[in-house]
Amino acid sequence: MSIKARPKYIVETRNLIKRFGDVVALRGVNFKVGSNEVVGLVGDNGAGKSTLVKVITGTYAPDGGEIYVKGIRFKRLTPRKARELGIEIVHQERTIAENQSLWRNVFMGRELKGPLGFLRINEMKEITTKLLREMGFKSDISPEKLAKTLSGGYKQGVQISRAVYFRADLVILDEPTIQLSLKEVSKVLEFVKMLKKENKSCIFISHNIYHVYPVADKITIMDKGRIVAEFKKEDLTIDELSEVLMEVAETGDVPPRFKKLSTIPVTST
Amino acid sequence: MINFSYIWNRYKIQFAIFFIFISFWLVFLILNPSAFLNLNTYTAIASYLPFSVIPALSLTYIMICGEIDLSFPSVMALASFVLAVTWKSMGGAHIIGVILALLAGLIAGLLNGVLVTKAKIPSMIATLATMFFWRGVVLVSSQGFGIPLGEFKGTVTYDFFVGRVFSFIPAQAIWMLIFTTLLWLILNRHIFGAHVYFTGDNRIAAEYMGINTRKILITVFALHGVISAFAGMLATLEMATFWPALGEAYLMKSIAIVVIGGTSIFGGSGTIIGTLIGGLTLGLIEMGLLAVGVAGFWINLVYGTIIIIALILQTVIRETEMKKALKEKIG
Repeated sequence: MSIKARPKYIVETRNLIKRFGDVVALRGVNFKVGSNEVVGLVGDNGAGKSTLVKVITGTYAPDGGEIYVKGIRFKRLTPRKARELGIEIVHQERTIAENQSLWRNVFMGRELKGPLGFLRINEMKEITTKLLREMGFKSDISPEKLAKTLSGGYKQGVQISRAVYFRADLVILDEPTIQLSLKEVSKVLEFVKMLKKENKSCIFISHNIYHVYPVADKITIMDKGRIVAEFKKEDLTIDELSEVLMEVAETGDVPPRFKKLSTIPVTST
Repeated sequence: MINFSYIWNRYKIQFAIFFIFISFWLVFLILNPSAFLNLNTYTAIASYLPFSVIPALSLTYIMICGEIDLSFPSVMALASFVLAVTWKSMGGAHIIGVILALLAGLIAGLLNGVLVTKAKIPSMIATLATMFFWRGVVLVSSQGFGIPLGEFKGTVTYDFFVGRVFSFIPAQAIWMLIFTTLLWLILNRHIFGAHVYFTGDNRIAAEYMGINTRKILITVFALHGVISAFAGMLATLEMATFWPALGEAYLMKSIAIVVIGGTSIFGGSGTIIGTLIGGLTLGLIEMGLLAVGVAGFWINLVYGTIIIIALILQTVIRETEMKKALKEKIG
């Protein structure tokens, strides 16, 4: 049995810079996502979290630095290229067509088709049924159900299932728990755990560390376009993390007693 | 195994329309049994109904995309004019006339598609403009005169479009069923139809997932242009005369048929079968009112009432569905 050499990081950025006119959104960001790692990306509004993932998914072209995907170096990515490389982003209910069935939603834009472009409907339904069970959907949710009848948490689940089916290696969740009820949030967190179990990597962006902390392996803190610190979950309790974030938001600096816990050299902004 | 509860839930609106259809039929049957047990009544319905139902079928695609086309009656006239002039000048019912007429429909449809997607003019306005434009072209070219086509009656090409199969089924009714089957197949079983739904349901999501929604829209408008041209030819040949005002009566009727058929004007949902049943309902009502001896003046009044009832019914069904879904979400 041959073991394929797996790059250590699924995505790594080196010295990434992005400007919008006079505003510098990313100031030399070195961000790493390991394989089968769930990274919680946290930070205040305007910290650069969304800009960073938009560079990784190819929506923005960076003004400097490099992106490595599975060890391959890129100056910039396009959305298509990023998807081909196995990077999928899940937006807040954005890629769901409400009046269509779940199986149609799962296969949106990537339908399985036979000769002359006719749909392989039964196959898509069967795959969707299997996929939904695997991802822990309730058993009464059939692939024929219309998306609009699902709750927000399950809609996120459909998008995550889609990413799993199309063999994404890295699933990026951009504020997946925003506007969701408590019960729905726990549903989304279950889906993230499923991703981990399916051997995927994940970037979980959120304002709310109470959502990120339970599922993350690593917490990366951004502030004013920089990564200021990075902690392994086991090194920090959730209350300590909260303390660090408050301090970073107020002073732009990590409290001294946590500095040595960071897995990267702490920078201040 | 057929899942009946699923079919019922999914096609409630279509069942409701079908129920309206059947109840009207029963009312007419009771009011005038002699007319509604007579085959000729149905032959009559089948001979004129396709002219408004066929364009309504392809209009369903456009409305599922969340767009509208007001120009198709003018396109029907344009195609008919091209057909009439070609046949007259060639002195025979030549297939080239048919091809040129369909081509005219294709060009008109493509123009609509380009105006909507490239020039980014809302379809309501863009097709209002092309409605006037093509009607203008027809009126100027024909100088307002009709062109009699009776001399071509009995030719193979003529019978191909509007002959009588087994001497009582109008060929145009068969065409209506062929288009229904074809457009149903594409909408429900083909990748193009899937993308039509996505284009109308959530255009941003569709684009994000790699669907070229502009291409879909242009194709849908082009398809509607060609099919309207076909329907225009059917109407012209059935009457055996080209007349410059052709199609004007079908504009509101076809839109009404699509709406009664359960297609949402907001896009994203709608069915071909619904449109067919909507068309049959309207056709039956029109014929029924005439057969039971109600003056023609009443027809518009009844149409208006039917449309309002059908729409209220659809809203009620949708609202109860949403309420049920909401309850499931909370519960």
